[in-house]
Order: sequence, then structure tokens, then C-alpha cells
Amino acid sequence: MNDSMIQTRNLAIGYRLRRREFIARRKPSHPASKVVAGGLDLDLAPGELVCLLGPNGSGKSTLMRTLAGVQQPLSGSVLLKGCEMAGLHPKETAKLLSLVLTDRVMTGNMSVYALVALGRYPYTGWMGKLSDADEEVVRRAIETTGTRAFAHRHIGELSDGERQKVMIARAIAQDTPVILLDEPTAHLDLPNRLEIIKLLKTLAKEQGKAVVLSTHELDLALQAADRIWLMNPSGGSSSAMVAAIPESLVLDGHLEHAFKRNGFEFDPFSGSFRFSREGVRQIGLVGEGITAYWTQRALERAGCMVIPGASDIRHIEIETLNGEHKWKYVSGEGCRPVEKESLDELLSLVNESQNEGKER
Amino acid sequence: MSNTVSELRAPAHPWPSLVPKSGMILFMLFLLVLLFMLDIALGSVSIPLKSVVAILFGSDQEPVAWEKIVTTIRLPKAITAVIAGAALSVSGLQMQTLFRNPLAGPSVLGISAGASLGVAVVMLASGGAANAFAIRQLGLGGSWLVVLAASLGAMAILLVVLAVAVRIKDNVVLLVVGIMVGNITISVISVWQYFSAPEQIQDYLIWTFGSLGGVFGSQLAVLSVVVGVGLLISFAASKPLNVMLLGESYARSLGMGTFSIRLFVILATSLLAGSVTGFCGPIGFIGIAVPHMARSILNTSDHRFLLPSATLMGAILMLVCDVIAQMPGAQTTLPINAVTALVGSPVVIWVIVRQRNLKSSFA
Repeated sequence: MNDSMIQTRNLAIGYRLRRREFIARRKPSHPASKVVAGGLDLDLAPGELVCLLGPNGSGKSTLMRTLAGVQQPLSGSVLLKGCEMAGLHPKETAKLLSLVLTDRVMTGNMSVYALVALGRYPYTGWMGKLSDADEEVVRRAIETTGTRAFAHRHIGELSDGERQKVMIARAIAQDTPVILLDEPTAHLDLPNRLEIIKLLKTLAKEQGKAVVLSTHELDLALQAADRIWLMNPSGGSSSAMVAAIPESLVLDGHLEHAFKRNGFEFDPFSGSFRFSREGVRQIGLVGEGITAYWTQRALERAGCMVIPGASDIRHIEIETLNGEHKWKYVSGEGCRPVEKESLDELLSLVNESQNEGKER
Repeated sequence: MSNTVSELRAPAHPWPSLVPKSGMILFMLFLLVLLFMLDIALGSVSIPLKSVVAILFGSDQEPVAWEKIVTTIRLPKAITAVIAGAALSVSGLQMQTLFRNPLAGPSVLGISAGASLGVAVVMLASGGAANAFAIRQLGLGGSWLVVLAASLGAMAILLVVLAVAVRIKDNVVLLVVGIMVGNITISVISVWQYFSAPEQIQDYLIWTFGSLGGVFGSQLAVLSVVVGVGLLISFAASKPLNVMLLGESYARSLGMGTFSIRLFVILATSLLAGSVTGFCGPIGFIGIAVPHMARSILNTSDHRFLLPSATLMGAILMLVCDVIAQMPGAQTTLPINAVTALVGSPVVIWVIVRQRNLKSSFA
């Protein structure tokens, strides 16, 4: 026995096809259920922030719904704090596990405070009256998420980032050791995304909560997660799961395999994907510092493969005089350099010569 | 020094309270009593308020004619108005929360149509009942029959709409489905009418105009008991209804048994809207208008406060409509159905335009 918060044993998730069952009786070969992912053995420790990654359609949401008990597993079991989830009363589950969903909450005249207070639902009596202790929990949740300044406002008046924080506050008020979040950073701008992730990380570290969030933000997940659950479409119709710390997922090539598409390639140095550069011409770049970095980015965007420091092929030299930059384009060995004052002009020159090369 | 100053100053953002202004409820109670008296006093024969109060408190000093009018006609009608207004408003509020749709209400989602079907089954099928108020002459058994038929009809339609709601999450689609199911029900009644005897159709047509008069004695008792049970179930469901506002997934994650709550709410709504429709005919607009009024006046979404205030406001609005319908000084009364729409629609428009609340209420 260990102290893991969520444990799954040989869990298969997916959908039962209700209408097909009728057909299946006549055609025994026809499957009565669609397995989205099978053989899942997961383990979630307290104080751990886990990011659930995977391409669209790999079953992230299905897994989230199954872990939350909203959807029944096809086979296998989910253990919540050592107890079989199927055997738990919904009220008991609600005290162990809280959810933040992508559903837009549509509420009439509901203030932020009232919404967060609904998190106390499993603890209050039949009329839902909050005790002083309950209100204390609600207030602490609002302060933890930094939403106190708009606690009196209506949900409809909030921005997306503010609303997401409020929904997290509601989950905190539910006071559960496990919090599941379905794409909490979708539709948010970068500062808000970072803020949400930071908040979740603090929750995990300081309050010892086990946090699982599904996300599409690869770089954010690689930076913040203690562990990544990667849904990997393995050939057939169902997905397999790889659970590991972010760094080893990159080193083992799992990430690249999961997200690989034609036209993209994974850069293990930056941990991000970029457009692949097939059949492009090489170009050298002589220079250093920030100017060189962004020149390289611009050239790559134009479809060039940049080789830093190479001056014996077609290349670009950066000169810096009194804080002014000049770019010299040398189209081949022994050719006369063309000087350009701005990156803009340089890029159109490179594009021109690229097109000439194609026509030839 | 600076310490004491900062202590004295209120915090920048004081914690909001979950309890709305309670003075409102007292004011509404006062308004209710006042309008109740007015409703009894006004009509084709005007009776001074002082005499109304005296008669209600059992004085026998007043003219016998007035006493007769008050005790046998106007008092039952005023009580019926209070019950009908409260029941329709509460059922409308629950519908709007259950379907999370601002336009939901007993008359829109086909519930009234279902109740009409139930009544039509009783009225048109009981071949012998041919005179104008045949149903009322069926006595206590008959009144139970009408209530039962209306409630069952309402519940059947609501279950159909809800079965669609399970599959389709889109509120607009659901609303259209509800209206269509209502239309189908109405057309079934029309076809039935076409093949019925003229006397039976007349009964039914008079019923569809809506009327608060004509619910007396034991029928009034039946109506009060059924509506009372419906209101009790509704009030008991106020905590789950609050969570329902978050949507089904959140509600389930908070440990609420959504299936049983939905059933309870449907049961309560069917009892409330079904019984009132059975006795008074399909009364429109109160069910949609009052919940919005309650929400914007109280500025809360908490059903623990919304339900009681919708009860009071519904009763008040219904009394207002009834006062207008009996046209003080004139000998005729207008059909209550026409008056509720006349009074209800501008109220809804006013509330929405002024508060812009409909949109922020639901998505």
C-alpha cells in the first residue's frame, strides 16, 4: 500500500456504443465499445503537478472524465486514495476530488463569492447554509487565487483569465486532495497562462495537493510539470500512455513520436516544434548576440537552414557600428557582398535569391 | 497613529454577503396583503376597503350582498390568483434553471400544452359532460381527475423535452424542440376537437381563455394542497438548484445526484404548472416574467432567496392582473390570459432593457 492519491489498474477508457449493441447482436464481429486508450497504469502522488499531454483525439478529455468519475471506465479500476472509485458515494468522491472544466459557466447574477461558495456544497446541510468555518475556507480560496479584488463582481463581467482563476478558487474551496483541470490555460494569453500554472504549482508544493491538468502547451508543460502523462496514439485506434518526468520524455523521443506530423519537426534543444525545412538551401551566419539570434529566426522562417559561423558558403555577416546594425549578404565564395540596412530588406533579398535558385 | 487610522478605515474590498437585501421581502409581503384586499374590493360592485377587512374578520355588520360577494366569489378568486401566480412563477424559475435558458417557462416548453392535452382528454372523452362547467360538477372526484390529467400531461411533455435535453446540450435547439413538441400537442388537441361534439368543444374553449373564478370550496382545497406540495418540493431543492446553475458536470462533481434532482424538479414543476393549468386554464407569461423580475430586483442567483421572492412576486403580479381583468366599475371581465400577456410583456421588456440582465443571467 502506498500513499498515492489516484491509482489506475489496467484501466481502459472509451465509449460504449449503445446503438451498435443492437447491430452487434446480429454481427458478432462488431465491437460494442470504442476503446480510446487501454492498459493504463497511472499513479498520482500528493504534491505532484502532472500535465496530461497528447494530440487532439488521443483521449485526454476521456481520461479526465473517467478519472473524475463522470464517465465509467470500460474495464480496470480507478482507486481514489486507495478506495475503489466505483464503490464510493458521489458525496465522498466530491470530498476527495474537484474539477475545473472547460464548460462555460452560465449563471444568472451569480457573484464570484457565491460561485466559490458553491464549492462547499458537499459539506453543507440540506439548505446549503455556510458555517463560519465554511466561509473562512471560501475566503482563503479567494485570497489564494488572488481574486479578492473582484469577489463582489458577477461572473459574466469577468475576463477569461479572471474567470479561470475563480473556477480554480471554487475547486480549492471544495478542499480536496486531488484537483483535475481540463485545459485550464486554453483561450488565455501568455501572462495569464503563466499565472495559472504558477498558481497550480504553488498549490501542489505548499498545500500538498495532487494536480492533474490537460494541456496543449508543450513548452509550458515541459517547464512546470513534475511528471507528464503522454497519450500516444500507437498505430491502431487506441492510445498508449507514457508517464515520466518531462526531460526523459524528450530524451527518449516519446514527445517527438506523439506529435510528429509531416511538415513539422521537434527540436530537442528548445523542446518545441518548428516547421521542418526539407530541401532548403543552407546559409551561413557570421555574427553574435541577440541580433544574430533573431536574424537566424528570420532566415529559418524564410525556409533557410542556418549554419552558424560558416563563411565559406552563401552567408550573411553582421556588422555592428555604434549600435547600428548592417547585414552583408554574400551569395557565394568570391562574390561581392550586398549591404543591407535592415533585417526587413535582407529578408526580401534572401527570398529573391531563393526563388531564383528554384527557377534555375 | 497611522496604525489606528488604517484600522479604522474599511478594507478596500469588503467581503460580499451571500444574503440579499431582506427588506425587500417584507415590502413584498406588505404589497401582497394590500393587493389582496384591493382585488377583493374592486370589481363590478366596489366595496370599501374598510368593509372588506371587516367582512374578512367575520363582522356581520356589513350589507349581506357585500358579504355574499366577498365570501363566495371574490375571496376564492383572490386566493386562486395568489396560488396560481406563486405556482407558475416558481415552476418558471425552476424551468429556467433546469434548462439553463432564460426563455424557458411553463407556457414555452410545452408544459401548458401538455396540461391542456390532459384536460382535453378528460373533457372531450367524458362524453356525457355537455354543459358549460361540466368538470366542476363532477365534484371532488372530478377535480382530482382534472388535476391528475393536467399534471400527467405536463409531466409527459416535460419528460420528452428532458429526454431531448440529455442528448442535445444546445439551449436554443432545446427551446425549439420544446416549442415544437408543444405545437404537436396542440395540433393533436385540434384534431380531437374537430371530431368532437360542439358542446364539448365549447367547454374546452372557455377553459383555454383562462379564468381565476370558478375554483370554489373543495376544488380550492385540492389546488392548495397540490400547489403546497409542489412548493415544498421546490423549496427543498433550492440547494441543488444553485449547483445546477454551474451545469451538469460540475453538479455531479460536487456530489449531487443529478438524475434524482432532475426528477424531483420535474415532479414539482408538473404539479405546480399542471394543477394550476388544470383549474384555471393555460395562463401565460407569469412563469417567464416573474423569475426575471426576482433575479433583477434581488440581484442574486441564490434559489434560497429567489424561490420565496418569486412566490411572493408571482402572487402580487397575478393579483394586479386580476384587478385589471375585472375592470373596476365595468360589468364585464376580461380573460385573464389576455391580461397577463398585456401586463407581463412590458414588464419583461422593461426589466431586460433597463438591467441588461437577461444576457448576463444565462450566457
